[in-house]
Amino acid sequence: MMQSVHDGAHLRRFFSSVAAGAIVAASLISVPAPAFATEELNALVWCDHTDPALVEPFEKANDVKVNLKVYEGTGAALSILDQSRPGDWDVLVIDGVDVHRAIDLDLLAEMPADALPTADIFPEVRMEANNTKDGKTYAVTEKFGYNTVSYDKSKVDPKDMQDLSVVFSDKYKGRIALYDYYLPMIGLAGLGLGKKTAELSEADMPALKEKLAEMRAASKQVSDVVSSQTALATGEVDILVGGGEWITAVLSADKPNLDWTIPEQGAVRWAQSIGVMKDSAKQDLALKFVQYIVSPEGQARLATSSCYWAMPANSKAGEHLTDPQKAALRFNEQAEYLKKTQLYPIPSTELDQQFQDAWTEMLQQ
Amino acid sequence: MTATTLEDADRRKAWGFAAPALLWTLAFFVVPFLFMAAMSLWKREGREIVRVWNLDNYARFFSENALLQGLVNSLEITVIVTVLSVLLAYPLAWIIAERVPKRFQRMALILAILPFWTSYVVRSYSWLLVLSKNGVINQMLTGLGLIAEPLEIASTRTATVIGFVHFFVMLLTLTIYSNLIQLSPNYRRAAADLGANAFQTFWHVVLPLTLPGIMTGAFLTFVLCIGDYVTPQILGGNNELVLPQIIMLQLGRRADFPMAAALSIILMLAVTVAYVLCARWLKIERA
Amino acid sequence: MLRRVFVSGVSWTYLALVYAFIFLPVAVLVLFSFQDGRLPVPPFNGFSMQWYEAVFADRKLMAALSNSMLVAISSSVVSCVLGFLAAYSLARYKLPGSALQRGLLIAPMTVSYLIIALGLLALLNALHMPLSLLTVGIGHVVINLPLCFAIIYASMGDHQINIERAARDLGASDFKVMALVTAPMLMPSILAAFFLSVTFSWDEFIIAFLLSRFDVTLPVEIWSMLRSGLNPKTNAIGSLVFLASVALLLILEFSLFGRTKKQ
Repeated sequence: MMQSVHDGAHLRRFFSSVAAGAIVAASLISVPAPAFATEELNALVWCDHTDPALVEPFEKANDVKVNLKVYEGTGAALSILDQSRPGDWDVLVIDGVDVHRAIDLDLLAEMPADALPTADIFPEVRMEANNTKDGKTYAVTEKFGYNTVSYDKSKVDPKDMQDLSVVFSDKYKGRIALYDYYLPMIGLAGLGLGKKTAELSEADMPALKEKLAEMRAASKQVSDVVSSQTALATGEVDILVGGGEWITAVLSADKPNLDWTIPEQGAVRWAQSIGVMKDSAKQDLALKFVQYIVSPEGQARLATSSCYWAMPANSKAGEHLTDPQKAALRFNEQAEYLKKTQLYPIPSTELDQQFQDAWTEMLQQ
Repeated sequence: MTATTLEDADRRKAWGFAAPALLWTLAFFVVPFLFMAAMSLWKREGREIVRVWNLDNYARFFSENALLQGLVNSLEITVIVTVLSVLLAYPLAWIIAERVPKRFQRMALILAILPFWTSYVVRSYSWLLVLSKNGVINQMLTGLGLIAEPLEIASTRTATVIGFVHFFVMLLTLTIYSNLIQLSPNYRRAAADLGANAFQTFWHVVLPLTLPGIMTGAFLTFVLCIGDYVTPQILGGNNELVLPQIIMLQLGRRADFPMAAALSIILMLAVTVAYVLCARWLKIERA
Repeated sequence: MLRRVFVSGVSWTYLALVYAFIFLPVAVLVLFSFQDGRLPVPPFNGFSMQWYEAVFADRKLMAALSNSMLVAISSSVVSCVLGFLAAYSLARYKLPGSALQRGLLIAPMTVSYLIIALGLLALLNALHMPLSLLTVGIGHVVINLPLCFAIIYASMGDHQINIERAARDLGASDFKVMALVTAPMLMPSILAAFFLSVTFSWDEFIIAFLLSRFDVTLPVEIWSMLRSGLNPKTNAIGSLVFLASVALLLILEFSLFGRTKKQ
């Protein structure tokens, strides 16, 4: 590219102008340096916690800097924790169904039950069986939503979407995207078999694999959040299996035709829990952060955070949400949805491997 | 001062100058690599990495179709991309070197590699928008009445290949161009004097002389393409997984470092084979 | 005559087509960064600067931008210095096993970035070293050192030896010779190596992704922006980075044009 420049004076001029440019650029960039906080809190979270509108009020109120590391899927979180030293992390956000995995690995600290607004949390998502062990509370539900069927109502017959079996059939072949996260998708495949997610076992693997293959055959792609959204928004596909309010709510203003429903067979419900890490040296501050996240204000901000919208676990959050926000979240229709949906499957380590292998196998078909 | 002591001093100095770079490469490249190679012979059981020597990871690779298919996909895509990129870039480099007036050549080259300076991740994402069903290409083609139905390109192997070729055409144009302009016009004149026509001159004189440039670029393309995670992940729609995607799955979803290491070694072997095939054209020489 | 017209017609058409292919994604990227609406896909709803405002208001993005600059510049400086010293040593002294040393220094170039990143990650984990921008920088030196070494080594001709010898005969120490004689003579290739390194480091994703924790570089931040869905903000930051690079390139070009006119 820049061959043989032998003129020294010229070179110096060139170099200094480049250097000057770089310095100007660097100084422009480093202007909005945040005020120096005295303490830091490290949290391992799903991406919805990274919205400054959620975290900044806490940082300001407590003069603390919250460092956030984003992961997708419990496996990824455990993988990151594997690679960390004890004490690296103060707060953990984890799928509700996986809280016991974390407790068994001795990762989470007990939280005083009276420090949490348990009474305000929707009874269906309190999930005591998941968040507590031997009467001790280790985590609290903060947000929930559904992995179900999202679709473009101008392109498909909404009535068809009431029947989950349509995604295993040829009716919309090539117009379906599958969300690329094995747990809820295997849960949905299980529902297609008429199995409860909690009852899936090794014996179901052959039938599950077959169901996944049917799903795969009818689909055009298996994709993460951005590709799924792109595909739905551009008309690449008309149906997203595994999607829900969390993928359509942000698009509702630009694409009013996007809708989601829970079919007759039901759908999978996800729930995130938040807890304090056992090895954290900042237990009090970490607990304070958890309390902030599950407070009505924190909950309203979390529900409408930039990465994805979903229902707050705290029913009092409704007081801090606007009516259009509530409408997008379908705040008042939750009772019916909660009844029709089931939690993620909770596989043993062994079964989890088999789930993952089945998923990879399906991707390569 | 005797000759021997001077030599010793020189030698010490020479080692001293070379040492930092050598040590850096040893500490942060060779040692990690050997560590990873060793790790590929360990095993993950439950949540523990068991340090017992075994070949289970490699055995699993060859017995599980999904994993083996990853390598096949990687190789197929990489070969297609490399060949297509060379075929597209060579004429471009040739036209810039031969047809474009001398004083505009730099400009033409800079234009050809300008998009290289958009962020790589953003560029892949941009292709996603261009190729989608309602994207620019389909809008244009249907608008012109060339096609009735939008083409299904996004989330296919074709999309991955297009994304890759776009990047590597820029790279190959550079290496081939720099090779072409070094050719002395005398060769061509000599060939013409001997009665060769334009095609013969090209086939028997120009092409062989530019082979090193082609091979250097092709090898670089191969290395970068087969190890890339971003482009297939964004553009491929997970309709088929390539080896780097499978490696990232092992790492991200199950923290199975030994398996990820074993797959990396396999990826490495593929690159080594390519290197051996191209080795005779790849040299660094001093001026 | 007719044939020549035909050949040049084909040439120019080909040129135009390939350039169209090369510029298509960039043009689309820039166009939809001005999209008035949430979706950076056709139809184009109208012209708006809102996404650029959003970019500048995004603290994390701005932090990632300065992190990227820091990593790119410092890792390139280290690569150039180490590469230069090694090139000087290998070109000026006949050391035993110099072919092996050259091979070792070049080797990382033939290995996929993913593998380099995995190896470093495995080792850092085993040593319980925390991940940070520093580890990203170390990784970037590993990939850029071979490049810098190769470029500088290739430009070290024997004709410079006499000048160096003259300087040494006049009593200059080795370091003085290197800093005041060799380095200035090789400045074009050192600068080429430097800017190439900066470009690679600036744009590198997988090493930066695997070896960083809280402070991330721009490509990693953009990646995590993409995880949360479509957003013209991604187009806006992409366009900004592109425009900044083009500006830098133009500065380079102008300086070089100045030279060509003089000669």
